[in-house]
Amino acid sequence: MIQFEQVNKYFGDFHVLKNIDLKIHSGEVVVIIGPSGSGKSTLLRCINRLETVTGGKLIVNQTDLTDPRADINRLRQDIGMVFQHFNLYPHKTALENISLAPRKVRKTPVDEATKQAKQYLSKVGIPEKADAYPAQLSGGQQQRVAIARGLAMKPKIMLFDEPTSALDPEMIGEVLDVMRDLAREGMTMVVVTHEMGFAREVADRVIFMDEGMIMEENAPAEFFQNPQEERTRRFLSRVLKH
Amino acid sequence: MGDFSLLAAYKQEFIDGFLTTLSASLLALVLSLCVGTIIACLRLSQVQLLEWIGTAYVEFFRNTPLVIQVFFFAMGLPSLGWNISEFTAGAIGLSIYTGAFIAEALRAGIQSVPRGQMEASRSSGMTYIQSMRYVILPQAFKIVIPPLGNQCVNLVKNSSVLAIIAGGDLLYAADTVSSQTFQINLTYLFVAALYLVITLPLSFGVNQLERRLARQS
Ligand SMILES: Nc1ncnc2c1ncn2[C@@H]1O[C@H](COP(=O)(O)OP(=O)(O)O)[C@@H](O)[C@H]1O
Ligand SMILES: [Mg+2]
Repeated sequence: MIQFEQVNKYFGDFHVLKNIDLKIHSGEVVVIIGPSGSGKSTLLRCINRLETVTGGKLIVNQTDLTDPRADINRLRQDIGMVFQHFNLYPHKTALENISLAPRKVRKTPVDEATKQAKQYLSKVGIPEKADAYPAQLSGGQQQRVAIARGLAMKPKIMLFDEPTSALDPEMIGEVLDVMRDLAREGMTMVVVTHEMGFAREVADRVIFMDEGMIMEENAPAEFFQNPQEERTRRFLSRVLKH
Repeated sequence: MGDFSLLAAYKQEFIDGFLTTLSASLLALVLSLCVGTIIACLRLSQVQLLEWIGTAYVEFFRNTPLVIQVFFFAMGLPSLGWNISEFTAGAIGLSIYTGAFIAEALRAGIQSVPRGQMEASRSSGMTYIQSMRYVILPQAFKIVIPPLGNQCVNLVKNSSVLAIIAGGDLLYAADTVSSQTFQINLTYLFVAALYLVITLPLSFGVNQLERRLARQS
C-alpha cells in the first residue's frame, strides 16, 4: 500500500531522509518513534506529498509519487492526515470542518455531507459539539474533530503526526481511544508518537528513526523487550524511565 | 468667518464636485481592488520573476508621490498622443497608487494565516484554488478589513488630487468658488465637511464590519 524504495530527501544541503526502505501493508498499524529532528514528520509528510522526495521511489496506493504527472489531489482524497496542532479551520464549526472536503472534493450534497459529518462526530464521541467553533473546544475535542475530518473522506490510510503532543495529559487518553478503535476496525495507520504504551498495545510494527535513517523495526513486543541497536536502547531507556 | 449665503449661489458647483469626487473614488476603489489582488497574487506566486514584478510595482508606486503619477496620466500620456479625460487620468492614477497599498494589505493578510491551514486543506484533497477560497481567504479577509478600510478612506481624501489637473472634483469646486467669492475659510471648511459626509460613514461602516467579524470568532 505504501512503499519507500531507497528514498532520500534533502532540505537544501541538509540530508533529512537517508536511504529509506519501508513497506506498509493494507490494514497495518505502524508506529514511528525517534528523537526530535530525526525526520519522522518529514517521512510521514512524504506519503501525501506535503513534502517531495529528492531521490528514490515512493509508491502510495499504486500512485508513483515521484512521477510529476501523478494526480496528487486524487491521491490525497484517500489519505487522511492529523496534525500535532490540529489545524482545524477556525472560521468553521466542527460540523463544517468535517463536511467541507466531502462537499467540495467529493461533491457530496450538503445535507448528505452534514448527516455523515454528524455520524463521524458521534464516532469520536462528541456529537453535542456539532455547532461549536474550534476555539470553544478543548484540545482533546479539537483533535477528535480533526480525526473525524480526516475520516469523512473515507480514506484508505490515516497519517498521524504526534497527535497527542500538544495536549494536556488528561486529554491524551480520549484521543488515543479513538485511534485504538480505528486500528481495531482495520484502518491502515502510520503514527508518529511518543506514547510508548500506545505503540506497545496497538502497533503491528514499531519503527525507530534516528538522524534520517530507519535504525530498527520490529513487532512491538520484540522491539521493546529486545531492542537490537545500541541507539534504540538508549532512546528507549530515556523515554521509558520517567 | 464670512457669509454663508454667498456660497448658496454656487450650489451646482458643489454638487458637481461632490458627485465627481464620489464617482472617481468609487471607480478607483473597484479598480484598485482588482490591481491590488493581482499584484498580491504575483508577490505570493513563488515564481521568482512574477514575485519580482509584484515587488517592483509595490515599491515604485508606494514610494513616489501620487501627484506625479496623476500628472503623468493627465499630461504625459496625452503628450504621447493618447488622449484621456482629466477624470479618467485621475481615476487611473488613484487606482494604480492605491492598488500598491491594497496589494500589501492583502499579502500581509494572506501570509498571516498559519501555514497549517493550507496543509490541512490540501491534504484533504482540495485544490490550491479551493483551499484559498474556502479556508485561507475567509480568514485573511478578517485581518485585512481594517487596513483595507483605511485605504478606502485615504482614497477618498487622495481623490482631491484631481483638483490639480482640473478634474472637477470637490476641491476643484472649492478652489473655483473661493477665488470668485474670496470666502476662503468658509469655502474650504464647507468642502472639508462634504468630504466628511463620505469618509465618516465609511469609517463607521468599517468599524461595524470589523466588530461583527470579531464576534464571529
Ligand atoms: N521545511 C524545512 N526546511 C528545512 N529544514 C527542515 C524543514 N522541515 C524540517 N526540517 C529539518 O529536518 C529535520 C527533520 O525534521 P522533522 O522531520 O520535523 O523531524 P521530527 O519530526 O523527527 O522531529 C530537522 O532538523 C528539521 O529542522
Ligand atoms: Mg515532528
